[in-house]
Amino acid sequence: MSTPAIEIRDLEKRFIVKQGLFGTPRHVRAVDGVTLSIPTGATLGIVGESGCGKSTLARLILGLLPASAGSVLVEGQDLSRLDRRARARLIQPVFQDPFSSLNPRRSIGDIVAMPLVAQGVAGRETRSRVAEMLEQVGISPDMASRYPAQLSGGQRQRIAIARALVLRPRILLCDEPTSALDVSVQSQILNLLADLRRSLNLTTIFISHNLAVVEHIADTVAVMYLGRIVEEAQAQALFATPRHPYTRALLASVLTPEPGLGVPDVGLGDVLPDPSNIPPGCRFHPRCPVAIARCSLQTPPRVDGAECHLLSA
Amino acid sequence: MSLLEIEGLEVTFGQGEGRVAAVRGASFSLARGETHCIVGESGCGKSVTSLAIMGLLARGATRQAKRMEFDGRDISRLTEREMSRLRGHRIAMIFQEPMTSLNPAYTIGSQMAEVRTRHLGGTKQAALDRAAELLGRVGITAPGMRLGQFPHQLSGGLRQRVMIAMALMNDPELLIADEPTTALDVTIQAQILRLLAQLQAELGLGLLLITHDLGVVARVAHRVSVMYAGEVVENAATADLFAAPRHPYTRGLLECLPIPGKVAPGAPLGSIPGMVPKLTPGFTGCGFRSRCSLARAECAAPVALRGAPHLYRCVVDA
Ligand SMILES: Nc1ncnc2c1ncn2[C@@H]1O[C@H](COP(=O)(O)OP(=O)(O)OP(=O)(O)O)[C@@H](O)[C@H]1O
Ligand SMILES: Nc1ncnc2c1ncn2[C@@H]1O[C@H](COP(=O)(O)OP(=O)(O)O)[C@@H](O)[C@H]1O
Ligand code: SF4
Ligand code: SF4
Ligand SMILES: [Mg+2]
Ligand SMILES: [Mg+2]
Repeated sequence: MSTPAIEIRDLEKRFIVKQGLFGTPRHVRAVDGVTLSIPTGATLGIVGESGCGKSTLARLILGLLPASAGSVLVEGQDLSRLDRRARARLIQPVFQDPFSSLNPRRSIGDIVAMPLVAQGVAGRETRSRVAEMLEQVGISPDMASRYPAQLSGGQRQRIAIARALVLRPRILLCDEPTSALDVSVQSQILNLLADLRRSLNLTTIFISHNLAVVEHIADTVAVMYLGRIVEEAQAQALFATPRHPYTRALLASVLTPEPGLGVPDVGLGDVLPDPSNIPPGCRFHPRCPVAIARCSLQTPPRVDGAECHLLSA
Repeated sequence: MSLLEIEGLEVTFGQGEGRVAAVRGASFSLARGETHCIVGESGCGKSVTSLAIMGLLARGATRQAKRMEFDGRDISRLTEREMSRLRGHRIAMIFQEPMTSLNPAYTIGSQMAEVRTRHLGGTKQAALDRAAELLGRVGITAPGMRLGQFPHQLSGGLRQRVMIAMALMNDPELLIADEPTTALDVTIQAQILRLLAQLQAELGLGLLLITHDLGVVARVAHRVSVMYAGEVVENAATADLFAAPRHPYTRGLLECLPIPGKVAPGAPLGSIPGMVPKLTPGFTGCGFRSRCSLARAECAAPVALRGAPHLYRCVVDA
């Protein structure tokens, strides 16, 4: 078997947060034992509620944060041993907010050229690669002298994508790339990402809280809860037959535009997950509608990609 | 008789050259016990419409309407004092970001009680009892404890529940909710919307719910108004709108959605080319014409709503 594009093993990230001047420090376990493997050319979707650790996992994969434990191999190489320039050629991010992620004082041509300049590419080659990249994301190269403030949200996100792809990285990591966009713009960006993925044979990680979008774009899906991946499966299988009770609740809460169905009862109660106070046993048990006695005592084993006592015989 | 009747609402900001029309013709009505959704993309005028109804527009805004009635009474000419009485009592509002409407310096209990005693009088204790009862109603466990907490001690979902409970303190007849679940997780959103729908039905409230999410519309609205560039471009019973959208914009919007089961995974999604126009002074006609494949010369003149009861604002027959 060929080397996967990304191989993550027992990855952990703990933050220490001080409360006030004299408060006792809390240990936030933002990522708590993640093991994942993404084959080359595949798209992995990561879903889960706010604060479950998606962006922290993303920053660990990008090498923007040091891990507390565990490892991330990108194309077989340990990210923490690579310098910034080598990392930039392997993996690039696109973030949620196209308003704050682009420097307002630089023209969009300069913004897209920046990664090339950082790699020592110069002069005419930079210009032609920027023009080609802009074209690929559907922005006319004539617009290169404009500034971010003169662009719409969708155009800015196209620029962010152009900047991420101009070095021809092998992997693109998108953290909520369409969450700040209107649906008519979101569909354009999703179509663009799908085209680029195919034509450049990119491996993609796509983080989103919009499950319909993830179902549309991902090959495999990882469901995160309190820092762990509680279920991982092929997208079709996961959406057709979710196995973990949390995945089921998450899918049940999606309001598809089908009139007459009403709003479902998700059955999760009002206890919210707190990564500085992870429950013993199964971390989902305080909200789980089908928990059994064992759930608050024993950590569920991982069976066929899902962590739940009910799934192990 | 309808509870709220809005016809030809127009709101502009600024003066002279810098004038912009934020709302150019919003018309809809809402009956008691009905949920009406206003849906549209960012900047189309949803929030301005709701603020205009509540009389809460920023300074420098100009509001005009052919008709603006609440429970049969003209509210376009009320004094600030009269309007404020109405807002505190018979009409209540919930905003997207609860932290902007909760005071961080006071406990949940004292803020909730204040709302009631200020408008309806009575003792503070009676108001606190009512607050605890309502917190229970909106699904908050241990309401007694929550009354003593400060807003920052609650999660986003709990704060939004508190906002709903607070909005119900004075038994309003009309509840206006502007994107009440947009900042929340899908799981919490479903819980809050389910709660709103239940309360609306039980209390016979008129609910004007503003959202950009067509999934929310489909699941909770009885009727829906689609706004685009400051105008209501379509107004229909929810089932009719989704089954047979009449305005080209609504049709385009529905095709942009990745709907599981309807759109194959990975298949290209529909899209609407171009951008929303800038509504400069003197802008008239269909705001969608720069993006519409059916556009023709007449579209530059004002286009009327037609086709009752499934209203649409387009010169081309649907
Ligand atoms: N630098 C940091 N210092 C302390 N705590 C942090 C830090 N970064 C993240 N956290 C905490 O780690 C947890 C996971 O955060 P993360 O941003 O990864 O969540 P997320 O899943 O991306 O959420 P969202 O859907 O809201 O983007 C949260 O409890 C967060 O508050
Ligand atoms: N106080 C204000 N001054 C000037 N323009 C405003 C003001 N409030 C809103 N607008 C403009 O009015 C239009 C409609 O805004 P709004 O109703 O907030 O949109 P949304 O549909 O996203 O709620 C936008 O173009 C917005 O920029
Ligand atoms: S292990 Fe128990 S608590 Fe956890 S998801 Fe399964 S049934 Fe629910
Ligand atoms: S009025 Fe004209 S421009 Fe507007 S939607 Fe109809 S055909 Fe298109
Ligand atoms: Mg995040
Ligand atoms: Mg708004």
